[in-house]
Amino acid sequence: MFLLPALVIVGILYYMLIWTVLVSTMDWVGMNPIWKFAGLKNYKELFGMHRFWVNMRNNIIWLITFVIPTGIFGMILAFLLEIFPNFSKIVRPIYLYPLVIAPIVAGTLWAWFFDPQSGVLNSILEYLGLARFKTGWIADPKLAIYCMIAAGIWQNLGFSLVLYTAAIREIPRDHIEAAKVDGANMRQIFFHIVVPEIGHATLIIFSLLILYTLKVFDLVWIMTAGGPGYSTEVLPYLMYKLTFRQLLVGMGASVAVIILIMSIIILVPLSKWIMTRWLEE
Amino acid sequence: MDHDEVVRRMNFLKKAIIISILLLLAIIWILPVYVMFTTSLKTLAEVSKGEYLAFPLKLRVENWTQAYKVLKNPLKNSFLVSMGATFIIVFIGSWSGYALARFNFKGKNKLFFMIAIVTFIPYQIFLIPLTQLIVNLGLFNTLWGMILAYVILNSPMAILITSLFFRTIPKELQEAAALDGCGPINFYFKILLPLSLSGLTSAAVLSFVNIWNEFIIALSLSRDPTTRLAIPVVAGLKGSYVAQWNMLMAGAAIVSIPGILVLIFFGKFFVKGLIAGAIKE
Repeated sequence: MFLLPALVIVGILYYMLIWTVLVSTMDWVGMNPIWKFAGLKNYKELFGMHRFWVNMRNNIIWLITFVIPTGIFGMILAFLLEIFPNFSKIVRPIYLYPLVIAPIVAGTLWAWFFDPQSGVLNSILEYLGLARFKTGWIADPKLAIYCMIAAGIWQNLGFSLVLYTAAIREIPRDHIEAAKVDGANMRQIFFHIVVPEIGHATLIIFSLLILYTLKVFDLVWIMTAGGPGYSTEVLPYLMYKLTFRQLLVGMGASVAVIILIMSIIILVPLSKWIMTRWLEE
Repeated sequence: MDHDEVVRRMNFLKKAIIISILLLLAIIWILPVYVMFTTSLKTLAEVSKGEYLAFPLKLRVENWTQAYKVLKNPLKNSFLVSMGATFIIVFIGSWSGYALARFNFKGKNKLFFMIAIVTFIPYQIFLIPLTQLIVNLGLFNTLWGMILAYVILNSPMAILITSLFFRTIPKELQEAAALDGCGPINFYFKILLPLSLSGLTSAAVLSFVNIWNEFIIALSLSRDPTTRLAIPVVAGLKGSYVAQWNMLMAGAAIVSIPGILVLIFFGKFFVKGLIAGAIKE
């Protein structure tokens, strides 16, 4: 009886996953359900689209240029802030607050920052006498995605900071004491004790950050709407556009399935890991 | 972790460099929201001078009143949906989380694993079937439809978090209660819930912030101006007040206030929830 709500909700969610996989094999176009089996036609069409591969490439750009800095800076920041406990009491909340700001708001702020005409960054450059560095930023098809990633890092650094701080605080004190007695300096403590001892946290944090890159939607919507052209689209955005704007529901579902497959590679080990930590006690 | 010994050994210059880097980074981190609040209190003429860091000459509340007029009803909707959904999510989460943490039954680990998967899955995958479900139930364009959608999507996380907190409550307590003739339902309401307030608050705070800031579900499940939520309306401002950054910033500032208040008053619980969701304490 206690389990009933959990079973119902988990049941609905898994039913929806299967439903999506089924719809991805249907020739469903338009608002109303069309259950016409089409085999792998949607996938073939998708793989034949240049747009799809641009999306994939963008997801990979996010994977590399978002996940690595957010993870590593979060780790270093967590370590440095732990060294200065009093100072960090004041500063840490500043890194955290972007987490409670809506991505839509963060995107609005950063879209203005990177705006080529009335943007903050270009006027700062001009003010500093660096006008030659003024550029299109968010309107430049090559740079736009990195502007978005900057906003993503700004928003999520606090997340990796919080998790790394928790992991660093779990390190047994005597490990660090022993190193101190041996006369280790800060850098040695960081690389030889902290980094190896928080390996499990690194696995989880990087997994969650990778999953985040498969969720990015709001920033794309508000900052560039996928443009210029479709140069900054990512898979969730493509899924939304295909389904709700072009009403190609079958194809939208097949994009969802591709996101699902990509996330399962991360989800299964992550969930197993979280489960083993949950079971020990 | 305590570093005083190592810190004492560091020379003054090194300390000063680290502190200034951390401080500089913190300033960069707070700048976007500083600019958001100050710009929202300026006139457009003042904004276009390009002195973004300057404090407004005179505090102009007109933008706020104008943005509030547009946002008044959506804010009310957002409050109803976020509060309502959070309440149900925490109830369901703790109800089933209790079973998961304390009962032994067949397939428990499998169930935990399945819940973990749907907790961390990119939720956009559910968008198409969820929209269909809400439309079929006749709940499209209603607040109840969005509440239902958020309950389905966010309950797994609440189950996970509350079950982790419940595990810290000693088993002996329930055995003692059972001896006094206190059944599991009584135990849940009379002993478990009051003892786990901090865990429940963490789950509630996390759900509330997530739902308040959520965009794609809110965007897809209501197109009716009377039931729209605040975040999609703020996202729409960018189109209706093109380059009127002071208005946009006023709207962005207004919807950011609840999240910031939550962080100020419940920051500890927010952080606890984030950690519990990923790394066991």
